[in-house]
Amino acid sequence: MGNPQAYSVLAVDDNLLNLKLIEKSLSKEGYSVFSADNGPEARAIALNEKPDLILLDIEMPGESGFDVIEKLKDNSETNSIPVIFLTGVIEVAAKLKGFELGAVDYITKPFHPLEVLARVRIHLKLSIATNSLIADQAGKLRQVTEAQAAMLPSPEDNPAAMFGVYYRALEEAGGDFYDILDISENIKGYFVADFSGHDIKTSYMTASVKALLAQNCTPVYSPAESMRMVNDVLVEILSEGKYLTACYVHLNRTTRKMTIINAGHPPVVWVPEEGEPCLIKSRGDILGMFKDPHFGIQTIDVSPGDKFFLYSDGLVESAENKITWESGADSLLPVCRQVADVSYQSAPEKLVNFIFGENAFPEDDVVVLCIEV
Amino acid sequence: MDFKDLASRLGIDEEDFMELVELFVSVSQSDIDKIKKGVQENNCADASAASHSIKGAAANLGFEKISKLASDMEMQAKKGSIDNFEAPIADLETMLNALAAS
Repeated sequence: MGNPQAYSVLAVDDNLLNLKLIEKSLSKEGYSVFSADNGPEARAIALNEKPDLILLDIEMPGESGFDVIEKLKDNSETNSIPVIFLTGVIEVAAKLKGFELGAVDYITKPFHPLEVLARVRIHLKLSIATNSLIADQAGKLRQVTEAQAAMLPSPEDNPAAMFGVYYRALEEAGGDFYDILDISENIKGYFVADFSGHDIKTSYMTASVKALLAQNCTPVYSPAESMRMVNDVLVEILSEGKYLTACYVHLNRTTRKMTIINAGHPPVVWVPEEGEPCLIKSRGDILGMFKDPHFGIQTIDVSPGDKFFLYSDGLVESAENKITWESGADSLLPVCRQVADVSYQSAPEKLVNFIFGENAFPEDDVVVLCIEV
Repeated sequence: MDFKDLASRLGIDEEDFMELVELFVSVSQSDIDKIKKGVQENNCADASAASHSIKGAAANLGFEKISKLASDMEMQAKKGSIDNFEAPIADLETMLNALAAS
């Protein structure tokens, strides 16, 4: 077992001569070989040493090779190790049973060591290729996650926008999205959206939406015009059945006016510096579906110290408890009252903790944005 | 018997092959003892299992004659006729002794 780089093979056979023969021919080719002459010992070695491949005799006294494969495949620590079984049985049924139990191949006894070598080599190659494919795909998904994270602006990088955020994607490619628009020194845009579906395509769409927002949320256009233009392009580019619900908040800290555009999204919670929290309910068409949409539009006067919560339906909906945001949003008000005195930076996380508990997590993707005027 | 040829057919060197032969002889001796015991106790299953073991090991090393003989014995034992096993057992022992001496 000298070379740690060597591929390791576990040979299991109750016949000592067969074991020795396999050991000799494999080690001569540079493999590290573990051997076991019974099932329980084989499983213990598989668990402790994690060999790259297992050669397993079927007919053994006590625990048979079939029993061994079954137990190896049942254990998450050993179930990915390829198993080639050795069998003197010519019947097709036994071979099929081996495959059914998860073996990758079989070698008929009496075996020729060169055939063993060839099969070991081929299945190691296959296993290496499969593993690298999986690693490659996981790597790509990680890149998507990273790209998506890079698309989400952080409060630290945008102190003038005075917001805090909680963002949690259930899968590598989340369906929730938010963006902060730096329209001018005192005018900021806040956009929260929820894509229908959570898949890789969705996460590529977030890049498009981000680009559209940057192009259209400028001082030249009113908030409603900005959203209409974003909508019109999305109608063209989104595939059928894809849409997003969104909420766009346009805040002018000089005039202390806030415009809220709602596109089929849960209502914004307003927690005034003085007074009771309330929901700003306004119904509107979803984004990316209709050519000439009607959005819910409201403009309100705000005061410094007022806080606003924008969030995705994952915060208030529960598929398990059959709660939709229509009814769920009302239950937010008392919770928002609880976090009224918390800084806007940490309010989103506090809010999520209040709703789901300290160590529990939402069922769906969740984004919560807290804006302070 | 050309051990060098048998070794190269298996893709291993002669020294390793001789080591395996030695192991084969000792394992097979104990299998023969099991066959003898099976015959004495009229236990066909044990005699068959031990013959099976010799058959497989011999085949793997390329000792076809031994394998064939053991295979016949296994078949006989499976049929339940192990009364006339003395001759084949003696033949097996002769072949194994020849191997051991080489």
